Amino acid sequence: MRCPLISKTTLLKIGLIILIIVIGIWMFLIGKMHTVLLDNKTIEVEGISYVQLPIVEVQIDNKEKIELAARDRDLVEVTAQRHKITVYYTDKLFNEHKIVKKFKIPLGYDMVLISIPALIGETDVSDWLSEYIPPTAVVAPQAETETVDELGIDFSF
Amino acid sequence: MSSLRETKFQRILNTLEKNSVPLLFGVIVIFGIPLSGYSLNYLGQEIVVRIARNSFLIIALLVPIMAGMGLNFGMTLGAMAGQIGLIFIADWKIIGIPGMVLAMIISTPLSILLGWLCGKILNMAKGREMVTSYIIGFFINGVYQLIVLYGMGSVIPIKNSSLVLPRGYGIRNTVNLIKIRKVFDNLIVIKLFGISFPIATFLLIAALCLFIIWFRKTKLGQDMRAVGQDMEVARAAGIKVEHTRILSVIISTVLAGYGMIVYLQNIGTLNTYNSHMQIGMFSIAALLVGGATVNKANIGNVFLGVTLFHLMFIVSPTAGKNLIGEAQLGEYFRVFVSYGVITLALVLYEIRKRRDADRSGRLLAQNQMDQREILE
Repeated sequence: MRCPLISKTTLLKIGLIILIIVIGIWMFLIGKMHTVLLDNKTIEVEGISYVQLPIVEVQIDNKEKIELAARDRDLVEVTAQRHKITVYYTDKLFNEHKIVKKFKIPLGYDMVLISIPALIGETDVSDWLSEYIPPTAVVAPQAETETVDELGIDFSF
Repeated sequence: MSSLRETKFQRILNTLEKNSVPLLFGVIVIFGIPLSGYSLNYLGQEIVVRIARNSFLIIALLVPIMAGMGLNFGMTLGAMAGQIGLIFIADWKIIGIPGMVLAMIISTPLSILLGWLCGKILNMAKGREMVTSYIIGFFINGVYQLIVLYGMGSVIPIKNSSLVLPRGYGIRNTVNLIKIRKVFDNLIVIKLFGISFPIATFLLIAALCLFIIWFRKTKLGQDMRAVGQDMEVARAAGIKVEHTRILSVIISTVLAGYGMIVYLQNIGTLNTYNSHMQIGMFSIAALLVGGATVNKANIGNVFLGVTLFHLMFIVSPTAGKNLIGEAQLGEYFRVFVSYGVITLALVLYEIRKRRDADRSGRLLAQNQMDQREILE
């Protein structure tokens, strides 16, 4: 049955616009970059102390493994929200362990901090993963460098 | 239909005249390459990079030419829309191919709006489309600067402090696009004879070329060609002339927006207030160098133009330095040649138009003479 108000072409156009919006949202979700800070420092959670490891290897998804010594912190840049963290470490009895955990970074978080000792200690995800807001300090504005190809030679703003 | 009887010399002269701009550039390049001292491998790599970087933008110019609207200097409008898309993805930290696609999606409605506005104005200035679109570019640039310099960070939220000027609002002169730099170019790379070919970008350009070829054969494409040949005849045939012209500008503006994103992903840095300024001028110059005219251009002109124009761009500073001892002269030469080639092409177009009218008159006279001879 034909709808007298909306023609087939209009419906097609509306459908196309919705599809483009959906693709846009999808691109936003899969392309959103998050910085994951991996922290190997002693941490206290609900009165329990989780001690730093002398040496630990951490891998996020299939990225390169990162080696962290005690009190080390390193970062990994990831896209999208769902990830897998794999931690390789050796305990005091020289037994090798591999811990794999899945986690989700909230969309609004630009940076998150993962505490490796708390993660190994089997605490709740909210204890080992938290938002990290970098401290802001009054600094002089950075000098801007311009990289142009030869097309932009004679205009200076 | 009979053809005009001409001497061999006249025919050669006509062919030379038709291809004078590409020939002139060919000669400049042939002399410039040995003077520059660059190896063929280096030049080949540079040309491949530049074809990948610029072709999309230049192909965007073909549609308005098809509709008889001349060279669309208003393509800077699309470039600005593309840049706004890139500023947003840089702020939201959307990286890689998704970032590029999202920037394209953001630029699309802006390009459509700006293209529609440009098309509406150009319909009021029939016969003076090129100069009008050039001035519209300046006007919209003012609006763009108002939005980017004052609106972003104050009215339009910008979270990323590295993008905002130290005063708290307005976008910095440069936006770092390092997270999308060459993501598309490096998606599929094939190395042949020591030259890296960005296959993904070439496939995208090939898809656009196929789209243009297909588009010419569609009803809308035929309408545009009819409008381009004679607006009054097209109107009499029932074609909505104004609507068709607006559509051609919209398509060109949208494609220019995408082209600007492809261009800037290759560069890796956005000069917020400069990048779009000369892009129209240089794209048009490249197309004209390829042998296109105000009313006729094809895909072949695009690639020949990019190759010759950018070869000249690459070799001229070093050739200038080696020849005169001043590299700066070569830099000025590039800009001088870009503006010069547009002027030359426009002058040649006018001369050719008059010559064609003269040739048609001579052909008519020749036909009448032939008929008289037959009757006698």
